[in-house]
Amino acid sequence: MTNVIEAEGLTKWYGRRRGIVEVDFVVAEGEVFGFLGPNGAGKTTTIRLLLGFLRPSAGRAAIFGLDCWTAAPAAHTRVAYVGSEPGYLGELTAGEQLDYLGTLRGLPRGAWRPLAERLDLDPNVHIRKLSRGNRQKIGVVQAFMGHETLLLMDEPSSGLDPLMQREFLALVAEARAAGRTVFLSSHNLPEVERACDRVGIIREGRLVDISTVGELLGSHWRSVNLALETPPAAGTFELPNVEIVAVTGREVHLMVRGDINPLLDRIASLSVRDVAITTPDIEDIFLRFYHAPETGTPEAGAR
Amino acid sequence: MNAALRLEMRRSRTLLLWLAVIALGYGAMLAVFYPVFRDNSKLVDQYLSLFPKEFLAAFGMEGSLSDPGVFFSSYIGGMLWPIVAAIAGISMATRPTASDLERGFLELPLSTPLSRVRYLASAVAGQVTGMAILAAATVAGVLLAGWLVGAPFDAGGFALAGIVAWAFGCAVAAVTTLVAVVTLSRGLAAGATAGALLAMYLMNALARIQPDLAWLGDLSAFRYYQATPIIDHGRFPWGDFSIFGLVAVAAWTASLWAFRRRDLSA
Repeated sequence: MTNVIEAEGLTKWYGRRRGIVEVDFVVAEGEVFGFLGPNGAGKTTTIRLLLGFLRPSAGRAAIFGLDCWTAAPAAHTRVAYVGSEPGYLGELTAGEQLDYLGTLRGLPRGAWRPLAERLDLDPNVHIRKLSRGNRQKIGVVQAFMGHETLLLMDEPSSGLDPLMQREFLALVAEARAAGRTVFLSSHNLPEVERACDRVGIIREGRLVDISTVGELLGSHWRSVNLALETPPAAGTFELPNVEIVAVTGREVHLMVRGDINPLLDRIASLSVRDVAITTPDIEDIFLRFYHAPETGTPEAGAR
Repeated sequence: MNAALRLEMRRSRTLLLWLAVIALGYGAMLAVFYPVFRDNSKLVDQYLSLFPKEFLAAFGMEGSLSDPGVFFSSYIGGMLWPIVAAIAGISMATRPTASDLERGFLELPLSTPLSRVRYLASAVAGQVTGMAILAAATVAGVLLAGWLVGAPFDAGGFALAGIVAWAFGCAVAAVTTLVAVVTLSRGLAAGATAGALLAMYLMNALARIQPDLAWLGDLSAFRYYQATPIIDHGRFPWGDFSIFGLVAVAAWTASLWAFRRRDLSA
């Protein structure tokens, strides 16, 4: 599988102000890559470097092997981009704005119509009269209306209502099914959890972790509370990755990390009245990265 | 016409329309009154003789107002046109770079295969076209109204004056484009251009009033925009036109060079 995006030691300083520092990652063809971080962490700087709007202070970034700074227009022939707060022209209608951008991308006029109908976007209303959510719909249509093989999206669903967010996730899934690559910058953690194959977490300009969503969730402890019909025999829960927190009669509290299947098999052999498995969601994990010291802990070390 | 230029012209059309209406209307209104100056030239000259010569020279009134060239220079070439050119130049030159970056629009066209150079070149083409429309409207108003009131002006001379006015406007727009690209600040670029034009106007006036400060006039763009000899003698000032042309081409070229190489962040 070829790499669509490559960033090597990518660094950007705005004078003495930090943008991003030595960011390394690759995004493979057909992958949906989530880029997580709070405001000011460096997400937008990274995307602006990928789009060639900024010249790297050090390192390099390439899209389809083309240098993002020196060969930006050539790279853009295969990229569709939508920003978090695009400054659409209020004097144009949504349809006119989309036609303008479509023409620059080599698309026929009206290429946006099917998506606009799907997202219930009125193309004939002047943009200055649209709500923030409807303006954001233009961004979603703009991103998906072409056939570019890489979608670069910077918080594209902020401002969308829950129904539209679901539609957005469906579009991402369709793009992935069609073999397109998606780079999705977001601080909407459930969205990233549902849409992405891998997630990069950026903190204070540095990439502190890259994992698959499964790895990210699986590498953290889950809490398991069991209520059994009878007290368990000694050694029942002595399993790899399982830590016994407390056994009080028929009540058992365990912590499990990694592969949970051996524990589930053991539980299945017992007579169980109730079971509760609490899985930390990606938000818990994300917050752990942000509360951990910058260096010195395995979870905060860049991969 | 490419999509970027089409959009550029569409975004400028309201501004250009209103400025053209103002230039056309103002020129026409003055031309309607021109026969009064022409038919009463002795009285007008007598009235003007009450003013100090330096004062009249400062505002380009060197000669009789019954003279078509002096008339045009006094009321339009030296007064209306610099204002129209400054408003259009500043507005059209700061919008595609500094202003669109500040509002978040710039990233939309530049995330497509459109290169920065082609994007800005389209904007420059829009400026050239816009200035031509305004210069034509400014001259047309005078010619049309003069013809209607029985004071036909020399169309050839006025057309040549319009060409130099266009070159002056292009130079203003080009320098503003360069300042906007370098600073990426609409306010700074607009303020710097307006301030520089005002300073050059005063320098030119000062140079005419005070012979010891004549050298100041050479530093002013207004020194090179003299419509009177063009209209009265039909001589096209190739030297002055070339200066404006060189400034415009150099500033636009530098803008394209700088825009291609600089970071784009608000």
